[in-house]
Amino acid sequence: MENKNTATESILLVDDNPTNLQVLFQTLDGIGCKLLIAKNGEIAISIADKALPDLILLDIMMPGIDGYEVCRQLKSNAATSGIPVIFLSALGDTEDKVKGLQLGAVDYITKPFQPDEVIARVNTHLTIHRLKREVESQKDQLEHELEVVSAVQRKLLPKQLPVIDGFKLAVHYETSRYAGGDYYDIIELPDNCWGFLMADAEGHSAPAAVLMAMTCALFRSYPGSAADPAEVLHYLNEHLCKVADPSFMTALYAYYDANTQTMRIARAGHPLPMIFSHSDKKAIELPCPGVYPLGIEPYEIEIPVTETKLEQGDRFLIYTDGLTERFDMGGKTYGEARLLRLLATDSADDPRGVISAIMADVVQFAGERPADDDQALLLGIVQP
Amino acid sequence: MEITQKEENGIVTIAIIGRLDADSSPEAEKVVKESLGGQTTRLLFNLSALEYLSSAGLRVLLSAAKEMRRREGKIVLCALNEFVKEIFEVSGFQSLIPIADSVESGIEILS
Repeated sequence: MENKNTATESILLVDDNPTNLQVLFQTLDGIGCKLLIAKNGEIAISIADKALPDLILLDIMMPGIDGYEVCRQLKSNAATSGIPVIFLSALGDTEDKVKGLQLGAVDYITKPFQPDEVIARVNTHLTIHRLKREVESQKDQLEHELEVVSAVQRKLLPKQLPVIDGFKLAVHYETSRYAGGDYYDIIELPDNCWGFLMADAEGHSAPAAVLMAMTCALFRSYPGSAADPAEVLHYLNEHLCKVADPSFMTALYAYYDANTQTMRIARAGHPLPMIFSHSDKKAIELPCPGVYPLGIEPYEIEIPVTETKLEQGDRFLIYTDGLTERFDMGGKTYGEARLLRLLATDSADDPRGVISAIMADVVQFAGERPADDDQALLLGIVQP
Repeated sequence: MEITQKEENGIVTIAIIGRLDADSSPEAEKVVKESLGGQTTRLLFNLSALEYLSSAGLRVLLSAAKEMRRREGKIVLCALNEFVKEIFEVSGFQSLIPIADSVESGIEILS
């Protein structure tokens, strides 16, 4: 293996026998690292804690605390637990080796040793340790970048929900990792009319976040009539087709006229909206024919638009499938039926109360299992 | 998830057993890609033992369909259970990828 050791790397050699220590020192003198020595366990622990060497070669049989105990203490200290330890001992039984490895050592060399073997193993473990540190630092960097993406993404969502005359809103939005692919938006239109968009980019993290941001930009700059749900989806699709491949985005757009309490809905691969009818005391999935998701290919067919009239006290819910496809510990999904039941929760027409009840039930259902996907819900209740 | 593939009479059949979701889709994607390594223009998915399909799984099937379209070939998904079929209908994918009730009828569509 190519030797990439540097003088900033150090190896701690631990042995109570001065002759052994000297032989080890001479063996490793030429490999390019700084060598530290300790002649007993106590000194070894103290040096390891201060100097944080990149590798420790540890004798087992020593007066005072032995090598096993030194290893145990190093591994139980967060500062030194990551330092690879190689045991070096005249004890050659399998049992001794297993004991050493079980204590967290990475390797075991039996004395008397061959200098070439020691050098080769030391170089291997220094390389592994170096790569491990690089991976960890790249992971930290990536997580930091995703946190930045996530912060930007939050700014793309509506800062607060609008107050709509006769239609009270509540929302819940959470991402499963730092950045997510769910997006909702509400635009105000003339004469107490409103546009609601709920969308979900396939996948998570950075690629989904890019699609989400792109959809946001497209939606906010949409030049056509927001009263035409089919045209809204056509427009988003036309532009997302150029960038989404091989991913896609499900979306539901609803145009709401608060004067007549009518909803006009177009759907692209997205879960059906749910409606709780106040008079029937029943919640259903609104049958709502749709087209395949955005970003795959242009729609050659007309996008169906479903119109429905809401009555006082009716609840209208649009959501992303991260909610209904939330898993429990046994791998079962939360499902539409349970969500419908919760939508019918008794709540004195307060949408926040209904959403809290839904999310509490989802959390209870999932138990210890964290969310695999982003979850977004937007609920409106028709008020007197 | 388990995934197998075979080639018979010019038809590549990929069978997916279990769950095709975010966890298993990278492996499925790899197998599908390898299966399409040749000049295959007839691709059949046997989904009779597919229990669960998420959007990540849909993407795998969509990529295969796009590839088959690019090479002017044919693709069919066969024997979906009710749950998976419903996912296909609600998500609108049935208009993108042909579905057959059984493997036999799928082979007919490809022939």
